[in-house]
Amino acid sequence: MKRTLHAAGALLTAGGLLATAACGGSSGKASDGKTTVTVMTWESSATNQLIDKALAGFHDPDITVKRIDTPNGNYGDKLASLTQAKKLPDLFWCGNDTELQYTGQGLLTDWSGKLSGSGGFTAGSFSPTAIKNWKTPDGKIGGVPSLLNTYGIWYDIDAFQAAGVPLPKAGWTWDEMYAAAGKLQKKGAKYGLVADALTGQDAPFALSLYSQSAGGAPFTDSVNQPTKVTADATYTEGVGKLVAGIKSGAVAPPGYDASTAQSLFAAGQVPMLWSGQWLAAGFLTDKPKIKYGFAPLPQVDKAATLYDAVGICTPSYTKNADATYKVLSYLDSTVWTKVLPDSPVAVPAYTGAQDAYYNALSKAGLTTVASTVKADLDAPLTSGVRFTTQWASQSNDQITAYWPDILKGKKPLSDLQTMTGKINDVIKSNG
Amino acid sequence: MAPALVGFTAFVVYPLIRSAYFALTRYNGLTAPTFVGLDNFRRMFTTDPSFWPSVRATLLLVVLYVPLSLVIGLALAVFCNRHMRGVRMVRTLIYLPVVLPVVATITLWKFVFNPQVGLANQVLSWLHLPTSEWLSGSGSAIPSIVIVMLWSVGSTMIIFLAALQAVPTELYDAARIDGAGPRTVFFRITLPLISPIMVLQVVLQLVTALQTFNQPKILSPDNQGGPGFSTRVLMLSIYNHGFPTLGRVAEFGYASAQVWVLFLVIVVVIAATARFSSIWTYSDHAS
Repeated sequence: MKRTLHAAGALLTAGGLLATAACGGSSGKASDGKTTVTVMTWESSATNQLIDKALAGFHDPDITVKRIDTPNGNYGDKLASLTQAKKLPDLFWCGNDTELQYTGQGLLTDWSGKLSGSGGFTAGSFSPTAIKNWKTPDGKIGGVPSLLNTYGIWYDIDAFQAAGVPLPKAGWTWDEMYAAAGKLQKKGAKYGLVADALTGQDAPFALSLYSQSAGGAPFTDSVNQPTKVTADATYTEGVGKLVAGIKSGAVAPPGYDASTAQSLFAAGQVPMLWSGQWLAAGFLTDKPKIKYGFAPLPQVDKAATLYDAVGICTPSYTKNADATYKVLSYLDSTVWTKVLPDSPVAVPAYTGAQDAYYNALSKAGLTTVASTVKADLDAPLTSGVRFTTQWASQSNDQITAYWPDILKGKKPLSDLQTMTGKINDVIKSNG
Repeated sequence: MAPALVGFTAFVVYPLIRSAYFALTRYNGLTAPTFVGLDNFRRMFTTDPSFWPSVRATLLLVVLYVPLSLVIGLALAVFCNRHMRGVRMVRTLIYLPVVLPVVATITLWKFVFNPQVGLANQVLSWLHLPTSEWLSGSGSAIPSIVIVMLWSVGSTMIIFLAALQAVPTELYDAARIDGAGPRTVFFRITLPLISPIMVLQVVLQLVTALQTFNQPKILSPDNQGGPGFSTRVLMLSIYNHGFPTLGRVAEFGYASAQVWVLFLVIVVVIAATARFSSIWTYSDHAS
């Protein structure tokens, strides 16, 4: 009997601990009748503090907002666990791919009805490409885009001047970029250009910018619902130029450890770095000793850029969708106007909040960042950064099997056709 | 006995049966599993471009790590078995990496092996020796990981040391009286007498190598087993499919199928080691 009591006690204790430890959980009505809306972000603790401060300005007599305080490390694992346990918070930071995949499986609340209504927070209040890419084939929108990532080339002004190379500017070409990289490398840099985006798993999508800009076919007809991938003559030409750049030592090869590239750039050891606008916020804090600028990605004829947005999603089992939507609209509009002046990490997808970002950049003297981000958003041609489909890991494996070896010259350029053929097989087999 | 059986059933038998079922399904953890028969195995052996490179990386790791850990572990044990001043301190120093937090030490090694700013290349540069790409080179990545694994060779050493100290000293005395040199003593007395422990070590190191996960997960530049597939050992491949990066959907069915392949490989290797060990293992029991 005593043993049974001990066992029951232990089970109750374990159950209690589990209940206490559960970090997720959707909204619910508290004893005071207020609805609690929970929020989880992947931001740093400094940005989270700014978000908390901004959320303190949200006033609704029936709603309490509670941000779940969790370190941002391994966010993907946390999200997966909470999803499987059906304990997702009412609002959680998500990528475009997560939003599309989860919405497709009926796991998220569809906001398309509310976004098509009238008011200050509707589909028309966002950058057009953002909302378009967040829609599933059947028109559902399981999350709202919040911040847009834009890509460009960070350059070390001192290194360019020392090498006698003109500074990159809007409209510069791929040939000019590789030529600059070559000169910078000859001037003493280990590599003239570090571009993980051109050598890593998502690289075939980045190289699509070359062919699209030159009037050729994009690498894929859609990253959300692809029917095929293509490597036409223009695309192959673009890859050929990259291979030549790597062979000459001007461009860092596949396998280059890019984890330190940002600090090496700030230390003046990497003269050109292909990356995103988000580095600006870090540079404002860390203050690199070099003079630097941020230029749009190179082009052949027309400006082309990568599309990449993150947003805020809501699980289908949120208890009070109206309350959640109220907090969502506040988070995605007003909060950014309060957070971005201190941490200008990315341009908001909600157009009404974009001035806060640009003003912060201007105030900090980062005019090239502001102009490049604007040019990026206006670029006539775009390519998604990667497949957002459920089978994307299978196509990634095909890319890993071919792309690095092609770039290193271990496999011929003609193997691009083999790679695209295998990816097309993956697309077909997954319907 | 009953609690042990309950525990064994709950934590071993049930997961085993469940994973065998998942191996025959397409299951992402979000929706109900769909039975697909042997499709996961067919994909693994025929179309998945990462599977055979994973097998190759795992075997390369086994081939490099197991003999090296045994040889170095035994050499250090022989050295530490000598009666000399400071030997206790040496033993402690060699064993120290084993008690340090694994993830922290592996992370430190990642900094050491950074090709641009790491200590390893800095030292090689000071010595005017050619530098290496270490973890960033597809050919040097697995050897670099083996070096990191050998950092904890103290665990192998300590077991060998215990075995060496169990060898009766009279045998050494008798051998010396008979005129045996150190080499003869080592190969004719020491090795045969510690051979049962050697079998244990071979089995332990084989299992360790086949189940290596922490080192490639933390050390590979992309944390996915890169560059390319060069460090994507089977355990990491299983993890990548079961717990993918943010924005990817889990493939628990496919990961379970890979688990079963790895499980069978381990069973076969251990069974073969146990079967053939009697050929070279010393035993003083009458058969």
